[in-house]
Amino acid sequence: MIRYRRIFKAFDIPVLSGVDMEVETGEMFALFGPSGTGKSVLLKTTLGLIVPDRGDVEVDGVSLYHGPSDALEQIRRKVGYVFQHAALFDSLNVFENVSMGLPEDELARLSRMETARKVWDALEIVNLEPREILTKLPSELSGGMKKRVGIARAIVGRPEILLWDEPTTGLDPINTAAVERLIKRLSGELEVTSLLVTHDVEGGLLICDRVAMLHSGTLRFSGTPQEFRDSPDPVVQAFVDRAAATAALDMASV
Amino acid sequence: MSDSLLDPVQPRTLAHLITSSIVGWFASLGRAYRLTLEHAGALGILVWDSIVAVVTLKVRMRDVLTQMHIMGIQSLPIVFVTASLAGIVTSQQGGYQLISSSPRYVLGTLVVQSVVLELGPLLTAVVLVGRIGARITAELGTMVVSEQIDAFKSLGRDPVAILAAPRIIAGIITMPLLVGFADVIGIYAGMIMASLDGGLGKETFFYGARLFWHSWDLFYGFSKALVFGIVIPVISVHMGLRTKGGAEGVGLQTTQAVMFMILTILIIDALFPPLLLQ
Repeated sequence: MIRYRRIFKAFDIPVLSGVDMEVETGEMFALFGPSGTGKSVLLKTTLGLIVPDRGDVEVDGVSLYHGPSDALEQIRRKVGYVFQHAALFDSLNVFENVSMGLPEDELARLSRMETARKVWDALEIVNLEPREILTKLPSELSGGMKKRVGIARAIVGRPEILLWDEPTTGLDPINTAAVERLIKRLSGELEVTSLLVTHDVEGGLLICDRVAMLHSGTLRFSGTPQEFRDSPDPVVQAFVDRAAATAALDMASV
Repeated sequence: MSDSLLDPVQPRTLAHLITSSIVGWFASLGRAYRLTLEHAGALGILVWDSIVAVVTLKVRMRDVLTQMHIMGIQSLPIVFVTASLAGIVTSQQGGYQLISSSPRYVLGTLVVQSVVLELGPLLTAVVLVGRIGARITAELGTMVVSEQIDAFKSLGRDPVAILAAPRIIAGIITMPLLVGFADVIGIYAGMIMASLDGGLGKETFFYGARLFWHSWDLFYGFSKALVFGIVIPVISVHMGLRTKGGAEGVGLQTTQAVMFMILTILIIDALFPPLLLQ
């Protein structure tokens, strides 16, 4: 379980103003909200990539900011992070990039063949043909392939929790749907807890068990996808309507 | 009398303007002071973290060798050209100055002392700022804005051990070697020019060089090289890791890093004579 307790974060202006949120073990949870409301900031506080001004994050009962000194290390071992633009290391090929997803001590212990097997498996899980891309550099891959390699890097260490930061950003509707199906399948196959930050409201509502919405730095809504669609809150309704209109435009463009 | 001078509001406005200028000046001073402290603190932490990474054997030899290849081997052509031109120009201008006032062998002294004490270390450092410092800042800045640094952290890897420490170690090792190369090239270029321009023989040139030679001068030149070899990678890594924004942020940060490095090198260069040549 991931528990965010009263998270405050300001850069030049306040971004998060006391966010409380819980993601249950094993569920798929989507976090929506307009641009600039701090969705990615909240996600990054889970791994200490951004440190909140106040508040705490607990992962399976381990407090990141008020817990033991090795809390961050404990949490990192459990969590895989899929970045918005994949964040692959430019100078490393696909094999090296994906193998970086294995914990350092495990990587040192494994033989090259064992590492290769794990990398191979991870690439196959995300529907990539390892033989064709293992030695390629990120600059030689398409946008969709980069995303998949990024996902392979996040899952190769078999995490218990997956954090997805806008995994469909920049993809066309067909690739978006493919990545969403992949997210749903992976969450089931790997039995992981998934927290998905996304602009793609329709996709998130389709694949997630619960959803939440951030607005003006606070949690405006939390509930099931159906409750989200039926919410009487005008802010939520306006957001749902706008998202539906955008999705329709995207489909029309295809 | 004009209307503006009769305006009763004007004295208040003037006082307000003066007050706000003074407040603004102090605010700018405070911001500059805070920024300086921030940079100093962050540079100190970066150096400390790099030392810890080295001591705890987190730095891979392969990364250090790669950086040494980039900083050292790949810089040899440009250092060769710069050092040659420095030796040639010093020899020509020195010959012009000394033509009727001093013995000709003094030209050997002039060229060797100029190259070893000043031109070798300083010009090599300036070349490395442009070739290596700017590259490091742009490279790390791009990694920051494309979330690659965050990716390292999310995977439990230490960006200082992987990215910063190998560059700093490589700078410390490579810079003195490059300066030694620049010294030799600069001196020989100066000697050849002295021969071509003024007919000064090799023996006479080196006689002059030996006449006023102190071993300390070599230590002085290499000490500078060592300090520059630390300053360039430390500042460039520090600036790269502080990059914000997108491509524009990387460009801006790289420009600022180059200015920061050049200024720091010139200040350190100015501090060396009172510290080591007294």
